[in-house]
Amino acid sequence: MQAITKSDFIGKDAPVAEKRPLIFTRPTAKTGLVSWLTTVDHKRIGLLYGVSSLIFFLVGGFEALLIRVQLAVPNNTFLSAQAYNELFTMHATTMIFLAVMPLSAAFFNYIMPLQIGARDVAFPRLNGFAFWVFVVGAIILNVGWFVKSGAPDVGWFGYAPLTSTAYSNQFATDMSTDLWVMGLQVLGVSSIVGSLNFIVTIINLRAPGMTMMRLPVFTWMTLITAFLIVLSFPAITIALVALMMDRSFGTSFFEVSNGGLPILWQHLFWIFGHPEVYILILPAMGIISEILPTFSRKPLFGYPIIVFSGAVIGLLGFGVWSHHMFTTGMGTMATAAFSVATMAIAVPTGVKIFNWIGTLWNGQLQMRTPMMFALGFVWMFMMGGLSGIMHSAAPADAQQQDSYFVVAHFHYVLIGGSIFGLLAGIHYWFPLIFGRKVSEAWGKASFWVIFVGFNVTFFPMHFLGLNGMPRRTFTYDGNMGWNSANFIASVGAMILGIGMAVYFVVMLYTYFKGEKVGRDPWGARTLEWSIPNPPPEHNFSVIPTVHARDAFWYEKHHREEIDREKAQHAADEEAHGGIHMPSQSWFPILAATSILIGGLFITNHHFLGAIGGGVLLFITVYLWAWEGPGGYHLHLDKHGNPIEPKDGHAGH
Amino acid sequence: MTLSFTLRSALRRASSLMFVGLLPLLNGGWIYGPQSTFETHGPVAKTQLDVFYVTLWVTMIIFVLVASVLAYATLRFRVRTGESANQPPPEQSHGNPLIELGLIVLSIAALVVIAVPTLRAIWYTYDVPEAERANAYEVTATGHQWWFKFEYPKEQIEGSGTLVTGNELVIPAGRPVRVNLRTVDVIHSFWVPKLAGKVDMMPNRGNHLWLKADEPGYFWGQCAEFCGESHAVMRFRVIALSESDFAAWVAQQKNPARTVPGTQIGATPTASPRVEFASYTYERQRPNAPGWSEGFSRSPFAAWQQKQQADAGESPELIAHGRKLFIEKKCAGCHSVRGHEGAGISGPDLTRVGARTTIAGGLLENTEQNLHRWLTEPNNVKPGNKMWFGGYVVRNNETGVWEQQFSINDDEARALVAYLHSLK
Repeated sequence: MQAITKSDFIGKDAPVAEKRPLIFTRPTAKTGLVSWLTTVDHKRIGLLYGVSSLIFFLVGGFEALLIRVQLAVPNNTFLSAQAYNELFTMHATTMIFLAVMPLSAAFFNYIMPLQIGARDVAFPRLNGFAFWVFVVGAIILNVGWFVKSGAPDVGWFGYAPLTSTAYSNQFATDMSTDLWVMGLQVLGVSSIVGSLNFIVTIINLRAPGMTMMRLPVFTWMTLITAFLIVLSFPAITIALVALMMDRSFGTSFFEVSNGGLPILWQHLFWIFGHPEVYILILPAMGIISEILPTFSRKPLFGYPIIVFSGAVIGLLGFGVWSHHMFTTGMGTMATAAFSVATMAIAVPTGVKIFNWIGTLWNGQLQMRTPMMFALGFVWMFMMGGLSGIMHSAAPADAQQQDSYFVVAHFHYVLIGGSIFGLLAGIHYWFPLIFGRKVSEAWGKASFWVIFVGFNVTFFPMHFLGLNGMPRRTFTYDGNMGWNSANFIASVGAMILGIGMAVYFVVMLYTYFKGEKVGRDPWGARTLEWSIPNPPPEHNFSVIPTVHARDAFWYEKHHREEIDREKAQHAADEEAHGGIHMPSQSWFPILAATSILIGGLFITNHHFLGAIGGGVLLFITVYLWAWEGPGGYHLHLDKHGNPIEPKDGHAGH
Repeated sequence: MTLSFTLRSALRRASSLMFVGLLPLLNGGWIYGPQSTFETHGPVAKTQLDVFYVTLWVTMIIFVLVASVLAYATLRFRVRTGESANQPPPEQSHGNPLIELGLIVLSIAALVVIAVPTLRAIWYTYDVPEAERANAYEVTATGHQWWFKFEYPKEQIEGSGTLVTGNELVIPAGRPVRVNLRTVDVIHSFWVPKLAGKVDMMPNRGNHLWLKADEPGYFWGQCAEFCGESHAVMRFRVIALSESDFAAWVAQQKNPARTVPGTQIGATPTASPRVEFASYTYERQRPNAPGWSEGFSRSPFAAWQQKQQADAGESPELIAHGRKLFIEKKCAGCHSVRGHEGAGISGPDLTRVGARTTIAGGLLENTEQNLHRWLTEPNNVKPGNKMWFGGYVVRNNETGVWEQQFSINDDEARALVAYLHSLK
């Protein structure tokens, strides 16, 4: 209701479409390729994010398997040093920026508006733009595999001065580092645009009665993550621009021979990089905080504390970046301060685990597949968190930094944490999105294979690190005591790979042939489950009114009251002109394409072409602005199905 | 009945999990090796290990407590198959502030237990303690892609400046050693796990660390910061000697390179010596083949001591030829042999390369086979290294293509091996 009363459409019907030039005609296709390229529907954009991020998840996983084959035995020659360095660089870059972040964005897009009772995000075209810019960034990052200079090979952290032209171009003219710089730059644009959209949506488009302290925890974590992205990406953007200047125009931000400071890169990178860690984990924590209450059939234990601890983690996350730099010789005081601050961040993280256990306590735990993944998350995240506490002690970290112990730690929080959370989310919301349910037997089978494979892969790495094996090494000697642990880890990686294959094959099968389910198959508690599945384009026939924290749980237990209210609201909305829907547009994808053109020219140091791309971008954005907001009204029959417009007022 | 059943199955699961978890520990191989952080040989590494054990115990206790509650809750409140899923929902409780506050206070207390030794150790490990500063020895380590240069600022040599070695750092045992950390190119990191945790070598930044070896010994080290193509094979050694051995070693180092009688340039106008003078037959190795032997790996310190003696059966003809090739093959442009030819500084100093246990940046054991291999096909041993790029092959600035300048054939390699191994 808020959305409607705040819009211009109060009390009047949609205006008749004026005659406009062809380029401003809004596409109206509801099916087919054009409908996907021009979509502004948050659900479709969510699906696009989901599918592309899962493709990149498989690519990143394949890169990891190649790495594990190389390290299975000492002195292996399966990969060259160069290929190995490209693979570990692209494995990390792909998993962080092209798999986990966009998969989280998929959930933000699809689920968050449904949870707050909104019909779309605040800026639907901008939402499409964020997705297409993400695709452009992904293309630029990966194009290196198909050209002579190869994929980026400077590590996902790109420490200066290894990224300078003097060192990355030593043996060949190299554009892979330029691709890496430009790719991350473009992905940053996508993330910031998307996040601003989510922030405005959550603050402005909540259904009546949905106060901030009634927001589902997943939406809260979306909000916090979006703020983290908006605040942290500028740091890496500055660093990347400075690096691009160094590489293209001979400036000396990091150029040692002219007095540049490589340590500056590390500070800028980790001021972004540490919040990034929470950008990766908070969405998964949000998903877990939805699943555990649903399958325990009771509310989240200590909701305010979970929310506040999420916010505190986000805040403290900006004050601990230098714990990635304990070995850079910061001096005693700075090391001590960042050590203690890092320990402090363990408190709000621990609190979440206590509260999740509290949620289980006295519940009726239904061991369905999403619940299995969620419990797996709690176990694995706890282990990763505890090894994180070990790192926070700087003197101990002097031995662990850049060793396989760190590799073990962050895979426990990123696979055992983020990925388990996201896989749980896919299982959990699959019935809502596609109206079909994954078979319990196959779902659980994939969980156990993934769980076992994951632990067999990464648990031995703790020992490898403490036994002195450094990271990012393409080979090791057989006399270091690292052979058996490496071999076991490689076997585990294959098991993990099989588990993931089972998971995705089962998902694909379910999409086509799975058992159909009705509304609310899990007995859930939040608003997204109150609508039919798959959800109609307009989401809610009637914007709900929220009376309690678990809004849908309340609805289910106060049917009469809610039905009365809804009938009233439906009448009000129809009186105000019907349901307002956004129009599709070509300009998001066109603007993103001009970024691709300009970006590729810049990475080739072809500056005339780059300026051309910039001009194209300006034109597309300018026309986008001239296109106007558009929008049309939808009227529903008494079953909630849209009535086809008769007078041509709608659908332009 | 159900409760005891649940507990028993929980215990059974826990014990089987524990067994799997302990398996690697029982098989001690997983925590002991040349770069183990568990086998410390000096106070810095020991302090760091002690802090690690504090964190380990605290987190293990937290893990056991939280995990058992989590396991109990999962098993106790599970809806078993057969039970109706349609039973009335449980009490919709929202939390308990007292419990939550209590747990927060407990977590903070646990972290304080970690924080206190952490802070103490940060100050202790940062620099040589005040009381020992007068006794400290100073060396400078400089990272290069992909090898380490070691300088001894206290040891000045008449006419040629500071004493310099490469890839094997010899230090006095029982004395604190302050290592100044420098780099000439990208970021490297100096890490000898048994003596001290790592500190990075940052461009335009004067870092340092300190370490002390309690006893004489031989320690493995490795670059720990990604520094380009051959980061994985950028290794080094630290050899700690007793005070008297160290003094003797320094005195010996200050001498010019050893010259086998009759091998000066122009002393023996021999024709190219033939293969049969060499004491080994060379077998070509695949790229990235291991370069160490069991015997060396078992007692590297003894191998080091052995290396200080001149080899038996040295052939003056071969050595003399090798010394000539050292100039002809442009080795002298980047390497120096003090007292002989060569004053290059972009490659490691080779004045006593024959007395080192390793070559190619601590990667290969210093045998005739391995040195031969390193000289004939350096890029298969250490991809991207600057002896190959810029030495054997040079970039044509017009076409951008790397063109081969020279190669070293097997006969030439034998002579060079003989010469380099005579440099003790």
